[in-house]
Amino acid sequence: MPDEELLEEGVLNPIKPEIQDPLLQELLGEQQAATPQEQPQPVPEQFDEVDCVVIGTGAGGAPLLARLAMAGLKVVALEAGPRHDARRDFATDEKAQEFLFWNDERLSAGRTPTSFGNNNSGTGVGGSTLHYTAYTPRAQPDDLLLRTEFGIGQDWPLSYADLEPYYDELEQLLGISGPAAYPWGPPRRQSYPLGPLPLNGAAQLMQRACQQLGIRTSPAANAALSARYYQEGIGWREACTNRGFCQAGCSVGAKASMDVTFIPLAEAYGAEVRAEAFVTEIERDAQGRVTGVVYEQHGQQMQQRCRALFLCAGAIETPRLLLLNELALSSGHVGRNFMAHPGMQVWGTFEEEVRPYKGIPGALISEDTHRPANANFAGGYLLQSIGVMPVTFANQVARGRGLWGAALHDYMRQYNHVAGINILGECLPHDENYLELATEKDSRGLPKPRVHFSYHDNELRLSEHAERTMRQIWETAGARDIWAFQRSAHVIGTCRMGRSGDDAVVDADGRAFDVPNLYICDNSVFPSALSVNPALTIMALSLRTADRFLEKQRRLDA
Amino acid sequence: MNTTPHYPPGTVRALLDTEHVSDATREALQRRLAAGTEPYQTQFFEPEAYALLEAVCARLLHQPNAPANVIDVARCVDERLALGHADGWRYDALPPDREAYRLALGGLRQTAQAQYGRDFLQLTPAEQDAVLQAVQAGTASGAIWQELNGPLFFEELLAETISLYYSHPLAQEEIGYVGMADLPAWTRIGLNDREEREPQATTQPTQ
Repeated sequence: MPDEELLEEGVLNPIKPEIQDPLLQELLGEQQAATPQEQPQPVPEQFDEVDCVVIGTGAGGAPLLARLAMAGLKVVALEAGPRHDARRDFATDEKAQEFLFWNDERLSAGRTPTSFGNNNSGTGVGGSTLHYTAYTPRAQPDDLLLRTEFGIGQDWPLSYADLEPYYDELEQLLGISGPAAYPWGPPRRQSYPLGPLPLNGAAQLMQRACQQLGIRTSPAANAALSARYYQEGIGWREACTNRGFCQAGCSVGAKASMDVTFIPLAEAYGAEVRAEAFVTEIERDAQGRVTGVVYEQHGQQMQQRCRALFLCAGAIETPRLLLLNELALSSGHVGRNFMAHPGMQVWGTFEEEVRPYKGIPGALISEDTHRPANANFAGGYLLQSIGVMPVTFANQVARGRGLWGAALHDYMRQYNHVAGINILGECLPHDENYLELATEKDSRGLPKPRVHFSYHDNELRLSEHAERTMRQIWETAGARDIWAFQRSAHVIGTCRMGRSGDDAVVDADGRAFDVPNLYICDNSVFPSALSVNPALTIMALSLRTADRFLEKQRRLDA
Repeated sequence: MNTTPHYPPGTVRALLDTEHVSDATREALQRRLAAGTEPYQTQFFEPEAYALLEAVCARLLHQPNAPANVIDVARCVDERLALGHADGWRYDALPPDREAYRLALGGLRQTAQAQYGRDFLQLTPAEQDAVLQAVQAGTASGAIWQELNGPLFFEELLAETISLYYSHPLAQEEIGYVGMADLPAWTRIGLNDREEREPQATTQPTQ
């Protein structure tokens, strides 16, 4: 491993020269724009030009990779992390599974700094879907019309009708397990292909209490299979064994992470996935069109030319790469509008044995609080029951309760009797919340991203409302020693889509306003946070982005 | 339930040898069980600083069965800092981890001197706790705590050490966790549902 701190001083990053003096930076600004920086780099290993390069193989990159390959295009995906054999290599052990997380250090600033690593950022073929909880609720139509409804936040430049066919398609392809009739949102044209996964202890407790309180609940829609499932081009996937380890990697293949769904599908149609390929440069011609990328793989510098580039590296690495390359920046919105879901958890201790390590962590959902009556905030939130792995729980007890010594030891002995509920709530964009490049360098010599995140009135009020609701549920369920853990989840919004290049980075098709052959597809393009887990919507956008691109190509060819 | 569940010792170690544990899982846990049995040469901390870190860990992590069952958390911190590994993020308000640890250990010395006129290692357990509580609360005396955010550092220290502790099979055994024995499947997952291989608590009054 390169020594991070030794590299922190005096290393020239290959993309941007070290000029610390702001005045000198300004003076050099024009000059640099006129003459592209020449770097004495070794000539990279080159490949033949391909139709499309996709950077990142998570929920944003993998579906479109498959779609483009199935349309007959020559496509190459570059994934920063390695390829795993989950069945053989994934241990049921949180520490052993830490390799799934994006562990390069990011700097968390602001009054409510958000955490990265295992909280939201993955690496490896499959990206963050390797450790997502696989909750797959759809966004509701009004999620996309926040500004219309409340006068604040942002509307999406597309509607629920644009996403619906992709939600339909994805639920069938991934084999989503869910209830026969989901109580919220518009009716489904097709029911979920598989029945719901079983309710674990935490879900039963929440169900019991919500029934008494008149809060509707439902078994969650989840992308883990409740029965064996076959899909053309993917093959058979096995049913979930209730390991409860979704957030540290599924060793069964039951969870629809990209490595067992869209990646094999893409490869069956000729897509090439290059693992351990870390992209550093995006090359352009005189007209500003992308011509290819430079990446590091196994200590070698490589180049891959392409006719179109799909940047799908997530809401931190995507804007970071654009900022490093000074690309698509004219709107001034790259890195801005950073959002994270208020994701407060409320824990309680129960007389009953919960053994919270069994079953999918979140088996029960309620969206009754999607638009709560008499709310003093815009948007709303959903409620999910949660089980928890022991190390994750201990970490939260440390951060949330500050317990140590004998008090911690005694509390942790209650582990088999604890259950949680958490929310995912709307987050509004705010000028104070953004990503920037820090002067501190990472082990590659590249500036670390610094992410500023502070809750404002809307997030604070929503969290207060949610805490009251969750405490009431747990009190009704008979919990004692109830405590709330304030946290945020998911990273959203740093290259948002919109109708105009004045205040957005990409259009509704995912195409960069500044660069005609650059597409972005991941959670960075969300104009608003949505009060649901983002993965299914990222995948829907991914398929839609591919379809819109293919349509444009066909028109050009005609 | 005003009592603390206790679980029979030996459950995890016995399960590791069964077909309920996958090869990858067994390998990871056995490696961790074996670590710490041989003497350790520090790689990052100077011996004095390391002794201080060990003393801090002893206060943060109550190990009633020590020294026979001591889980060596300080060593894991030393190894991580030597390798320069990170967990994906850090508070922007804190300096890089190595610097933060160095500063904080110096800060603990300063606070111990200011509060008791003695070195941290010379303090009674209750006095050591008082120093740590002051750091956690942001009230610790000493110049270093003017530049290093005590409560944030303490949160990081606590999160790291506790996570290391509960990663250990013996600590997992203590809390009745046997999630590692997940083969072929868990079928009894509801409230008060227990499978044969899951340990039952022998409930004893909290001491």
